[in-house]
Amino acid sequence: MQSNLVDFIQVLRSHDIRVSPAETLDAVGVTTTLGYSDRNLLRDGLAMTLAKTPAEEVIFLDCFDRFFQQDLADFSSAEMSDPQDENNDTDATDDTAAQTEDLSTNQLSALELAAQNNPSLESLLQTPLMENLLNNNRNELTLAIKAAAQQVDLQQIQMFTQKGQFTRRILDAMGEEQIRNAVIELEKSESPGLAVLQRYRDILRQQVRDYVEREYLLHAEGKTQQFMDDILSKTRLNNIEHIYLHKVHELIRKMAKKLASRHSHKRRRLKRGQLNMAKTLRKGIPNDGVMFNTFWRQVKKEKPQILAVCDVSGSVAAYSKFLLLFLYSLQDILPKVRSFAFSSHLGEVSAYFDDYPVEKAIELVNWKYGGATDYGNSLMDFSKLALDDINSNTTVIILGDARNNNGDPKLDILKSIFQRARQVIWLNPESRRAWGSGDSEMLRYQSACHFSAECNNLKQLERIVDQLLKSTR
Amino acid sequence: MHTQHFPQLDSVELIEQGFESFGYICSRKIATAVFLAFQLRKPVLIEGPPGVGKTELAKTISLLLETPLIRLQCYEGLDEAKALYEWKYGKQLLYTQVLKEKLGDLLQGATGLAESVAKLHQFGDIFYSEEFLEPRPLLKAMQQEKGAILLIDEVDKSDYEFESLLLEILSDYQISIPEIGTVKARTTPMVFLTSNNTRDISDALKRRCLHLYIPFPTVELEERIIRSRVPNVSEQLRHQLVGFVHSLRQLDLKKAPAISETIDWARSLILLHADQLEEELVRSTLNVLLKYEEDIETTDSELRNLLSSNSSDTRTA
Repeated sequence: MQSNLVDFIQVLRSHDIRVSPAETLDAVGVTTTLGYSDRNLLRDGLAMTLAKTPAEEVIFLDCFDRFFQQDLADFSSAEMSDPQDENNDTDATDDTAAQTEDLSTNQLSALELAAQNNPSLESLLQTPLMENLLNNNRNELTLAIKAAAQQVDLQQIQMFTQKGQFTRRILDAMGEEQIRNAVIELEKSESPGLAVLQRYRDILRQQVRDYVEREYLLHAEGKTQQFMDDILSKTRLNNIEHIYLHKVHELIRKMAKKLASRHSHKRRRLKRGQLNMAKTLRKGIPNDGVMFNTFWRQVKKEKPQILAVCDVSGSVAAYSKFLLLFLYSLQDILPKVRSFAFSSHLGEVSAYFDDYPVEKAIELVNWKYGGATDYGNSLMDFSKLALDDINSNTTVIILGDARNNNGDPKLDILKSIFQRARQVIWLNPESRRAWGSGDSEMLRYQSACHFSAECNNLKQLERIVDQLLKSTR
Repeated sequence: MHTQHFPQLDSVELIEQGFESFGYICSRKIATAVFLAFQLRKPVLIEGPPGVGKTELAKTISLLLETPLIRLQCYEGLDEAKALYEWKYGKQLLYTQVLKEKLGDLLQGATGLAESVAKLHQFGDIFYSEEFLEPRPLLKAMQQEKGAILLIDEVDKSDYEFESLLLEILSDYQISIPEIGTVKARTTPMVFLTSNNTRDISDALKRRCLHLYIPFPTVELEERIIRSRVPNVSEQLRHQLVGFVHSLRQLDLKKAPAISETIDWARSLILLHADQLEEELVRSTLNVLLKYEEDIETTDSELRNLLSSNSSDTRTA
């Protein structure tokens, strides 16, 4: 049962619930305390150790039901028999009612009769698989399916396209091939036992298919999601199809939240002082132990400030949406972020981000500041708006391709920003090789940046932001 | 460090019954959490909207087990001097004064500086010792001879630093005091933390706790709670008022009424001698349930609909 529990925890992990080894131990503790007799009790108990938010609890309950509600495979016959289907055995694969039909004694004997003058069929009937099928031994068959599944590593299933493949492999591992061969042989000899054997084969196939389907839902659904996220975060931003935009938004939000929780606590410092008794005493010694002065433990609080500037011109149109999305998330995470957008002129857009939901804000910014690029002019606007606020605590992030339509780059302004600020970071969506080609001023601007990087997919963005947050804390 | 045994907590059913005898009607899940917390010696992090009985749970357990409840209310800026321990500065100062006066006696017979210092070293250093330690709630909970219920209320209001301060206490039931050493709990206390979810609690803290989410109760459970807390409400009124509060929770309100508000409302209806819900009565007592002007306005316009659908429910039921 413990290995079962570990399997279950694997499933939870694939559904985005983070379970640490310590929590696994806790879960084992819970199961030994509560026992397995009361299912609901066990579910509540495990939920308390494994799911840490209400949202996770919903996922947990879902997984729990799927995982522990694996019924025994149903090979039963009798009750549900339907005379029409009995005559129509070719449809049996699709029709569950047909599978569960009773095999009357004479049908069974037909099979045995056929076996009498067919040694290979006879040996087939002796195999444990066929015996279990004939005797409707559900427990044994369920176990056999499970064992076969383990043998072919069904838990590794990733995509729905693999379902057929895995079904085939499990059937092979169970020795279904023999049945298949026997069916072909009976077909040749047009034996009356053919229909019966075919039905057994179909019942088995259907059961294995169902089992694979269940396991797929359990193990792969979460993985497919992760796989999609992974792919999206590595794709160049301008190649991401429009329909995936909302997914990317989700992803950025997820990323932002992760970064926020990792970094936000470092921002805060002790606000109030505490009497530093040792120092007060020590400083009192020269005064004969009389403490004239009190000394306080205090940590100086440092407030990082970030100014983010984003190019929204036509040449980076495909990126700007993501960059703005990123800015929007950034403003959520960090306390003092001012956002600016420009193409031919520059303006502050922090207010839009604060006031409107993300889609509306991006639309407004694009509408207001979109156009042809003029870095020189925009830098001048920027220095007018914000240069006075830039000090040794300020980080300036510039997002843009540095393609200036051959205008004056006004490098001196960026230089003055560079000298004042603690950090100037330039994120360029173009690949490093294209920097400096054509009207790109990147190589010149680069000289006035503490850090410049290529940034055209979410993975890179995440890495850079992580670095940034580390240095601004 | 040893653990106290409480027969009251031997099974989930016993806990449910015990709570009920103190007027705390709880769901199976809550009782399970308490049972596990006791069996596994783990703290419980209780989350849920305000007013669903998070704090009440800890209080009831303290009544049930007849152990002292030590409560630490968290707020922004709470630090170790207020939560863990503080030195008794005044007494420490007096001690140095006394020491100075007695110094002559103590150093009697010593000749030369080196000898005096050597003699001084022979005395125990009690300047930083337990005698000058002023225990704050967390340390106090560790010092209880017969165990204690430690309630760390609204832990989400505290700073991140404070959370890390709690980690040692929650996993090992001990406190490190740099000047003295490690103070271990005499008897492991039962720890409850409550959170209103105003911010995310760090994973490290969550990992050490059992996680219990108390949602708004079901109609059936809330009726049982009202019956136990306000016994003189008639059956019909109880059914009506709980139904009404539940329909209120479906609306988009700034703050949905919680159990404590339902109880208050039931009490006020008793005071007003109501035996069933009438529109005018509800309108005039709405401020017991809803704490925001906007919420009252939203509800006001919907009131007739809510009441009529509610009463038709009652009839069909």
